[in-house]
Amino acid sequence: MHLGTGFVAAVSPVNLLMAAIGAVLGTLVGVLPGLGPASAIAILIPLTSVLQPTPAIIMMAGIFYGAMYGGSTTSILLNIPGEVASVPTCIDGYPLAQQGRGGPALGIAAIGSFIAGTLGVLGLTFFGPLLADQALKFGPPEYFGLMILALTVIVGLSGGSLLKSLMMGCAGYLLSLGGIGPSSGFPRFNFGTTALFGGLEMISVVIGLFAITEVFVGLEESRTAVSIKNIGSVYPSLKDLKISLPAILRGTGIGFFLGLLPGLSAAVTTFLAYDVEKKISRHPERFGKGAMEGVASPESANNATSQAGFIPLMSLGIPASPTLAILMGGLMLYGLQPGPLLFKDHPDFVWTVIASMYIGNLILLVLNLPLVGLWAKMTTVPYGIMGPVILIISIVGAYTVNNSLFDIFTALVFGFLGYLMRKYQWPAVPLVLCFVLGPKLERSVIESLAISAGDGRIFFQSSISLGLLITAAVMLFISLRLVRRTEHRVKEVEGEIPLSPK
Amino acid sequence: MKMKSKWIAALLIFAATAATGYAQEFPTRNIEYIVPTLAGGGTDLCSRAIAEFASKKLGQAILAVNKPGGGTAVGLVYAMKQAKADGYTVFAETPTASSMMVAGMVTPPVVLEDRVFAGRMIVDPMAYAVKADAPWKTFKEFSAWAKANPDKLTWASLGPSSLSAFAIQDWLAAIGADESKTRMVPSAGAVDSLTKVAGGHVVLASHSVAECMTLHQAGKVRILAIQSDKRSKYMPGVPTAVEEGVKGLSVKYWTGVSIRKGTPEPVLKKWEKVLAEIGDDPEFKKKVENIHMEVGFLNNEKFQKLVSDEAKFYTELAKRIGIRK
Repeated sequence: MHLGTGFVAAVSPVNLLMAAIGAVLGTLVGVLPGLGPASAIAILIPLTSVLQPTPAIIMMAGIFYGAMYGGSTTSILLNIPGEVASVPTCIDGYPLAQQGRGGPALGIAAIGSFIAGTLGVLGLTFFGPLLADQALKFGPPEYFGLMILALTVIVGLSGGSLLKSLMMGCAGYLLSLGGIGPSSGFPRFNFGTTALFGGLEMISVVIGLFAITEVFVGLEESRTAVSIKNIGSVYPSLKDLKISLPAILRGTGIGFFLGLLPGLSAAVTTFLAYDVEKKISRHPERFGKGAMEGVASPESANNATSQAGFIPLMSLGIPASPTLAILMGGLMLYGLQPGPLLFKDHPDFVWTVIASMYIGNLILLVLNLPLVGLWAKMTTVPYGIMGPVILIISIVGAYTVNNSLFDIFTALVFGFLGYLMRKYQWPAVPLVLCFVLGPKLERSVIESLAISAGDGRIFFQSSISLGLLITAAVMLFISLRLVRRTEHRVKEVEGEIPLSPK
Repeated sequence: MKMKSKWIAALLIFAATAATGYAQEFPTRNIEYIVPTLAGGGTDLCSRAIAEFASKKLGQAILAVNKPGGGTAVGLVYAMKQAKADGYTVFAETPTASSMMVAGMVTPPVVLEDRVFAGRMIVDPMAYAVKADAPWKTFKEFSAWAKANPDKLTWASLGPSSLSAFAIQDWLAAIGADESKTRMVPSAGAVDSLTKVAGGHVVLASHSVAECMTLHQAGKVRILAIQSDKRSKYMPGVPTAVEEGVKGLSVKYWTGVSIRKGTPEPVLKKWEKVLAEIGDDPEFKKKVENIHMEVGFLNNEKFQKLVSDEAKFYTELAKRIGIRK
């Protein structure tokens, strides 16, 4: 058995050390907004001329999946998602932290990440090459179906007003239009400046709308600390675990299978996982106010997605995200070409790296659980200290993505916009979601129509695409009913209308 | 008095070193190597290899800095308009940023005359890929089919004035097929485009040998031919286009170093010397082979001529198919 020999090699001191370094670095870049695993791995690429391939790739892979653990910390405790994939975690994580339950929420996130990560590696171990071919079946019309499905999430996410939610979604789409148009290859909506040639940077928008806005709001409220309630136990209770486990498994499933498709990043899968959880919950009205499942599901989905990404990468050399593209670059610098031949010609390398992922996930759990108590105390640090620190980290984070000063201005402008939006209760989440999905949707439409010479029937001819569109219609229907039901329930609870008989 | 003469002597020595010693002293601090694409792609890997070797020879750290966006325009504008012309900021030059950009745009943000093409380092020929189980076994057969059925030919590219599009337009013109009847399907990147071919969503795509390597080895795409005067050592079984009876193709990927015009002559000379040395270095050759590309050093003079010849050729091609805007 190759995996067995892989394990033997993976526990050698050097490889173990590398997995641990990767896990620590990954957690760290995950915690810091803006600085993502992509830049961290890119910075470490020169190490490839010093290190042996196996330890180097073990470390880089560790950074990649480790970042998914760290991402939950600032989202839950400070309402600051370091990247788009962490936005759904904020929706319920931050209310939990305000209630003094930040510790348990972080614990659940870590446990969920561990379960999802380990199940993901199991999938990679046993079904890798088998699943990789499925990715090829997805062409432009299939992605179109998937994007429409993902867009229905907006309805589910609209906390207060559906109309406001849809309007913010449109605003997000309009903002995403700048940059190079997908079909012409020419810059559009750049208002004559080269700074806007590349469009607005997504991470700057997220940092602005969440992190910087949060500081402004904190200033206005003369906030003393994030959580003014007593922090109870910092570890999740058995009850928390019981509620969360099904959500973790569902999140893992969604994250893993969608994660097999290149171009579908964790940013999309976490939103879908959160939405599904809210839909099947018997108490959807608890979501947004501190539901543990609302943290468990997206936090598991992003780890499953990142592990699943190794399948098309290792089997076909198709990187599902920019970070994996850099990792693939690292492999190639060693002369290791991903693909079926990699499994055949370098089995010891492949299986050692895969075995190290089991170990890495375990290290991450052991590393993150004790940290939970420490992190949770962060919510009691005086805001006079936290606020400026958040601001500095945000600005550095916005800069590091593209090494661009303009991105800092973007973050600041969106920080101000976000403050106004918060004040007048316009939700930021639909804006971010459409900012991510808009360009993908546009691309899939243009590509599909280019293939079919303008014939719109192409979207309904493939069975995958048709199936996805029907699912989207069903989800939309459920969402609309749920919105009504939630409104009804809220009124019931507030005593505006009599309780309906059970 | 003695004191004063000492001062004057010191000043004179300082002035002398400042005037003559400048070139010997370059570089005295870190250098930025601007890469206009995302990390991990072909140009990025090449640039990191070149930066590593140049750093050893220049004795200063060279940081590969990714400034992606705007189809290389963002990084290009930074290196040629915003950074100082002092040789401490150099640019990872490609056809996309130079000859093809001036061909596709009537008013490009940066023109060829804004920079000095210091040295071309690496080349990578274009390959023509179809699905692994496609009915065409040879490039000759496929070319005949495309000429007869241009309306059935869908091809993926990274946009109308990209390397991947010019390679196909070049071929369509060479075989006399009606390009206006074919359908270009835009894609987000080389991997995205080749995945469309492998999944049977489009018929054809043209990308460089290094880019096609993985899916070719995985048995998901069939490489019908490469556009080069000799076969690639990484795909020895694949014929060249000329072997298959298609002559006159010339689109090729390359990358090298360009520096903003106005940089002091001694600094430029130093860069040219260092790049030439790297081009001869067997260790560098080994590194480049790992990423399935070839070392193809051209000095400043030849590189400059190559780019201006390419620019003329692509401009005519772009005008003819009506994509120059």
